[in-house]
Amino acid sequence: MIEVRGLTKRFRGRVAVEDLTLSVQPGTVTGFLGPNGSGKTTTARMILGLTQPDSGTATIGGRCYRDLPHPLREIGALINPGAVNPSRSALEHLRWLAAANRLPAARAETVLTKVGLEAVADRRVGAFSLGMRQRLGIAAALIGDPGVLLLDEPINGLDPEGIRWIRIFMQSLAAEGRTVLVSSHLMSEMALTASELIVIGRGRLVAAESVASFTARVDSSVRVRTPQLDALAAALTSGGATVWREDDRLDVVGMPIEQIGAVAAQVGAVLYELSPQQASLEEAFMHLTSAECEYVVEPTPVADTVAAELAELAA
Amino acid sequence: MSSLAMEWTKLRPLHKTSRTVATAIGLAVTVSAVVAAAMAAHGAHMSSTERSHFDSIGTSLQGVNAAVLAVAVFGVLCVTREYATGMITTTFLAQPSRLRVLAAKLGTHSAVACVAGAVASVAAYAVGQALLGTAGLSVGWGAHQLVGALAGGAIYLVLICVWGVGIGALTRSSSTGITWLASLLVVAPVIVQILPPGVVHAVGRWLPSQIGMRAIAGRPDPHSFGPWTGLAVLGGYVLLTVAAGAWRMVRTDP
Repeated sequence: MIEVRGLTKRFRGRVAVEDLTLSVQPGTVTGFLGPNGSGKTTTARMILGLTQPDSGTATIGGRCYRDLPHPLREIGALINPGAVNPSRSALEHLRWLAAANRLPAARAETVLTKVGLEAVADRRVGAFSLGMRQRLGIAAALIGDPGVLLLDEPINGLDPEGIRWIRIFMQSLAAEGRTVLVSSHLMSEMALTASELIVIGRGRLVAAESVASFTARVDSSVRVRTPQLDALAAALTSGGATVWREDDRLDVVGMPIEQIGAVAAQVGAVLYELSPQQASLEEAFMHLTSAECEYVVEPTPVADTVAAELAELAA
Repeated sequence: MSSLAMEWTKLRPLHKTSRTVATAIGLAVTVSAVVAAAMAAHGAHMSSTERSHFDSIGTSLQGVNAAVLAVAVFGVLCVTREYATGMITTTFLAQPSRLRVLAAKLGTHSAVACVAGAVASVAAYAVGQALLGTAGLSVGWGAHQLVGALAGGAIYLVLICVWGVGIGALTRSSSTGITWLASLLVVAPVIVQILPPGVVHAVGRWLPSQIGMRAIAGRPDPHSFGPWTGLAVLGGYVLLTVAAGAWRMVRTDP
């Protein structure tokens, strides 16, 4: 279990993480979500004792990382898959890690097999692809058979097969009762992998809840198709709903689906479709973090610009 | 102890380690052979006073001064390579006490430097004496002060290796660290040589290279520190640098 209390870090006066409090529970995959530059990696590094916080604490099973006598036995971390001496072999890399925490040298072979790298155990890490390095990083995280795992952007640079492998792997680790915190800026991936979410933006906590309740935060709309579009739209609007009209259908927000059905019956509208439209995790995320984004790019109305230029040419 | 095991396991499989040891020994033997051969050729023209003042031990051990750069770079790289590849974060994950990491690096690397230094000194001496013997300038293995000079050479190399580790921890950059050490060991004596004679003696004795020369010498020099005083002075430089490097390692996050 990971506990973070009032964690704050500034780099040259610029806030990276501010008064962050969160806890990560065992038995589930917890997604750590935030836009680029929102403080995910800084938070991970503070949990791991690599960056000294300005204030606040981060503990693993009640103890600070630096107070753990054999930290790799308590928490395994993947923080930078490139952080390996390229001239060493995969096996040699894992062996010094094992030696550092008084683990049997045979653990190196065990975890290499677990991540499917046993065939390249003696190959130089410098010749590894990014995907193989990610796997080696995960093997390193598992070397002490820890109860807590902290994986920072583990699917970066992986091919679809590798992503699928890592997803199933993380879920199986959580099913074994381990605490799994995985950071990512890819919402779609988190929707498939995680069941709990911690969302941060600009170093502050935005949400900490289940994926389902996070998604429910964004108003879900109801799609209605009927030949009596005008009559139904008017009745729904006067009933207090917000209605968008699209060609042959209505998108309704702010009224329960049952009530929409009742209103349709009252005005005698024939319904071809009445269906709830669930907001995706991505929409929920964009909705909640739009104010917290570090770098915002204004959407350029390309079509308008092109149209204006064409008009100018024609004139 | 587990940090020592960690650093030792890191060091062992690397070809660089054996290459450093081989380079240090090879350089020492080659330079000693060249210097001794030149002195032996010159020996025929030496007067009897020159012969009586000739430092046979120091001449045979000249190669130690060449081995010193290999050992210094070995020390610097043991820290800077980890910062360059980012592996230092993995090291700190395995051992969060940064002082223990530094101590383990110092322990393992000075052990390697000590073995390399001892072998290099003995091998260089053997080759140097064999060549000097052709001109009747050798003093053999029973010479007075020989043990002190051999030990001095090995200790000098260990201190320079430790200095390299300290400078590596302080600069975190291979190129900067090696430039520092090369300036101190190679460039500084060249600059001091062009100063007025009185200043040369006053300043020269504080130079690490001069201290190294005296550590391996078989005869005293009135303008320099004695071998052990000199090594103590060098130890002082090393201690200050390592302390500064340790401070930066602990205070500044990688």
